[in-house]
This record gives sequence, C-alpha cells and structure tokens, in this order.
Amino acid sequence: MEKQLNTTPNISVIRKKEKKSLSLGKIILYIFMAIVGFLQLFPLLWLFDYSLLNSGEFFGDAILQIPSPPEWETYISAFTQGNVLPYFFNSVLVTFVSVALTAFVSILLAYAFTRMKWRFSALFLNIILLGMMIPIHATLLPNFIIFNEVGMLNSYWALILPYTAFNIPISMFIVTGFMETIPRSIEEAAVMDGAGIWRILFKVIFPITKPAIATISVVNFINCWNEFIMAYTFITEDTFKTLPFSIIQFVGQYSSNYGAQFAVMSLIAIPSIIMYLFFTDEINKGLMAGSIKG
Amino acid sequence: MNQLMSSKRSIFFLVAPGFLILISMIIFPIGMSIYYGFTDWGGIGDYNFIGFENFKTIIMNDEVFRTSLINALLLTVATIVIQHPIAIFLSILITHCGRWEKVLRTVLFIPAIISIVVTAKLWASIYNPQYGVLNNVLEAIGLSSWTQDWLGNPNLAIWSIIVVTMWQGFGYAFLLYYAGVKGVPDELYEAAKIDGANPFQLYVKVVIPLLAPMMRVAIIIAVISCLKQMEVVYLMTDGGPGNSTQLLGNYLYQTAFSSAQYGYGNAISVIFVIVVLIITVVLNKFLKRDVGEY
Repeated sequence: MEKQLNTTPNISVIRKKEKKSLSLGKIILYIFMAIVGFLQLFPLLWLFDYSLLNSGEFFGDAILQIPSPPEWETYISAFTQGNVLPYFFNSVLVTFVSVALTAFVSILLAYAFTRMKWRFSALFLNIILLGMMIPIHATLLPNFIIFNEVGMLNSYWALILPYTAFNIPISMFIVTGFMETIPRSIEEAAVMDGAGIWRILFKVIFPITKPAIATISVVNFINCWNEFIMAYTFITEDTFKTLPFSIIQFVGQYSSNYGAQFAVMSLIAIPSIIMYLFFTDEINKGLMAGSIKG
Repeated sequence: MNQLMSSKRSIFFLVAPGFLILISMIIFPIGMSIYYGFTDWGGIGDYNFIGFENFKTIIMNDEVFRTSLINALLLTVATIVIQHPIAIFLSILITHCGRWEKVLRTVLFIPAIISIVVTAKLWASIYNPQYGVLNNVLEAIGLSSWTQDWLGNPNLAIWSIIVVTMWQGFGYAFLLYYAGVKGVPDELYEAAKIDGANPFQLYVKVVIPLLAPMMRVAIIIAVISCLKQMEVVYLMTDGGPGNSTQLLGNYLYQTAFSSAQYGYGNAISVIFVIVVLIITVVLNKFLKRDVGEY
C-alpha cells in the first residue's frame, strides 16, 4: 500500500513530462520513424497484398491494391498444389530434432569447457572457433560426396546433422557464457550429497541454464526453418523436402499463377514472424550474445 | 571435487558427441575439399593429381573468379559505408521514441527473420518489369524514365542484389548498434548535459565514440556474412546476366554441380575459406587496436 502511494505520483510526473515534450521536433521524429518503419515493412505488405489478388489484377499501375474480393483461394491452391503440408511436416521434424540435438550437445560441451579440467581444452575450443568461421558453402561439395557414398542423401539425417553442426559453435558459446555465471558452490553442495557428474549436470545445472537454452533454441529454430541451400543440395526426393522448396516448385510449375506463388511465400514467412513476435527478447539476447562471443 | 572434474571418462562422454558431429560435418569435409582441390576430378570416375594447377588457374587466369571476388568486396564495402551509418543513426533516433521504441525496434528487425527463399523471390517480383512494384512506384512519383529491368541490366544487377542483402541484413546491424547505444551509462548523459552539451554534441562527442567496440563487432560480422553471401544471387540471377552478379559461393556451386568440375570447384572453395579466415583475423587484429573502453 505504501509502495503504491510512492509510485503513483512519480508516474504522473513522468507522464506530464512526456506530454510537455511533444514538441515540433518530436512530431517530426515520429513521422520520420513511421516512414522508415513503413519502408522497411513495405515489401512484406506488398507480398501479403498481392497474395490476395486474382491474377488479372497483377498488371495494373497501382502500388498497393485493395483486393476485391480477397482471393483466399490462392491460399487453398497453394496448400493443395504446393505440397505445403508434407513439406511443412518435414520442416517441423528436421527443425525440432536439430534444435533439440544442438541444445543437448551444447550443454555437454559447455559444461566440459567451463567446469572440467583437461589438457586439450584450449585446442578443442580453437577447433570449434574454426567451425564458426567456415562458410556453409565450402562444405556443400564434400558433404554431398560423403552423403552419396554412405547413402545418406535424401534422408532426414542429411539435414539434421549439418544443421546441428553449424549451430553448435555459437550455441555452445552462448551457453558457456551463461554457465560461467553459475556459482560453483551449488555443485560443491551436490558433490557433498554424493552426486556424480551426470546428476549434477541434469538435476542441478540444466534447470538453471534453461533461459540460455531457450535463447539458443529460438534462434536455431529460425536458422533451421529458413535454411535453403543445404536442403536444396542434399535432398532431391519429394518425401524429404522442406518448406522453402514449395516456392521453388511453385514458381517452376505454375509460373503464371502469381497469386498462389505469393500465397506460398506468405505461408512460409508467417511462422517465422509469429515466432519472432512471441520470442523477441530471447532472439535479441541470442543474437547479442552470439555476436559478442563471435 | 577436483578428482570428479578431471575424470577422463566423464570428459570423453561430454565432449565426444559434439566433436563427432563437428568433425564429421565440418572439419573432415574441409580436409576432403583440400584433397580434391589438387585433382582434376569431374565428380565421377578416375582423377589425377595436378598439384597447384587449379589454384594457379583460379588466381592468375579466372575472370569469373575475379568478378566474384570483386562483387563480394563491393557488397561488403557498400554494406559498411551505406547500411551501417543508417543503422547507427536510427539506433540513436529510436531511443527518443518513448513507448513506440519497442514496436519500432521489432518492425525494423522483421526482415532479418524472413526465409532467404522468400526474400529472394519476393524481391525478384518487386524488380519484375511486368508487374513489379518498383517500376510502378517510380512512375507514381514522376520518375518514369528510371523504370527498367532491374535484374536484366548487367551494370545495375549487382546493385539490385546489394539492396536486397542490405534490406535483409539491416535489422541485425541495427540491433547491435542499438544495444551499444543502450549500453552507454546514464551518468555519461547526465555529465554531458551538466557540461552544457547540446544533443548533437552529446552524440557526436560522447555516444558515437563509445560505440567503437560495437562497431568492431558489427563490421566483422557484416564482412563475414557479405563474403559468404550466395543464396540471394543463386535464387535471383544465378550470377547473370553474363556473370555480372557472380559471388564466390555461387561460383563454386556452379562449377562443381552444374559444370561438373569437382576438383576445380573444391579449389575455389579452399581459396574461399582462406580469404574469409585471413580477412577475419586481420580485421580482428586491426580493429582491436583502437577499441575504446567504457
């Protein structure tokens, strides 16, 4: 009660200040920033707008058109002809397994580097750093040959393993940064109670590390969900293709059905945008931590 | 405790899964690339070792490689000279937007999480001379003499590509600088105000110099990601018209997969990795020198 009494006048003071400072400069600032925001989003607005037009309306001079009536059918034909559903399932499966595997492996590695004492830890850390600097494209050709040799082309593993590999370095560094802040006394207490490494790791450390795990998982989700070039190289059979393929397929097969092409693009973009709106803070944290370590 | 933390068995099981994946998906393939870079292998059948022949040809006589490298450097320089100053400017302006700050921050970042396939196909449509919105916009503002086939003009196509990569990469650069601006301690703003600094002086003399460490990080990330850029070109122009938009990643992909010059493609990929590593290390050393401290 007392607290409330203290804070209420403060807030009103701040509000008054804000109102007072709504000067000409502020108005110009808001208008300017609104234009910048609009320009940045404009391509996406155009995409959603045109996905609802029927093909005849495409060639007008208008910049954004009010669809009359909105052609929701483009979404239906995108869904039925673009293989969206099976590809969606593949994307979900590959993404979730990769994200979970990356998280698991990164916790183990991070623990080995922050707590365990071993001779070659510096060397191994450098190898991981090297993995971070190698462009994905440089591994496309040799991995294609290897997967071909061992019969792994056209399988979920041909995507899960390289996705995991390329997400490990940065994820491990983010989790490491977080683990370093956990006081060692917590583990010492657990050792007193007779716990071994694995029990400490999964019963004590893992629950504390959850925020960092959440961060890397969301960032890795977006990476895997949007990944294209590896999927395009290692997968040729319909059964294993992921969502980005449906655009390529659609453009190839129904090159004049612009509305449906735009609908497929919207269908692929929407899950990422929703994910981002839900987890803005986690994603920002992940990107910041990743960039500072990198 | 010490004994527990240096148990060889535990360390092995902590480190092995991650390293198995990293070595088999990144390190070993790169080794293979180096090996095949010294051969004339065409992808199937026998091959001969031809020493440094591939590397010599690439460095001395390969016009397309030169174009790819120049384009990659052009993309990098343009990003740093155009995109980063805008990102810094907006990251400062946005902190004055009160409760709109969060919304604007989210809006400015959204393009960065859109799938590369969607981005590429969307922008290909924006540039399309028949129904693309860019020409319509130019006509609407009275610049109809500027309208043209943006991706079909060999002199302009690379710039059309650069705009797309800037649009997609903007959110990330912006977020880094924004974090930098937010990281400036409040006391410094107060102190500058007491010293009678106007807002302009405050930013030019206090805030921007303090952004130096963040600039280093942001520039290194931008350079690496620009050098690695490939998907946008692959999906929009495939290097054309007439190799005018060729980038390193796309060129090595074409060489190996479309022209079946597997040995040669691997040699390109090795040079590609070396270029990225050298630039990263040099940049890191060079930029570390004048890092300001808070």
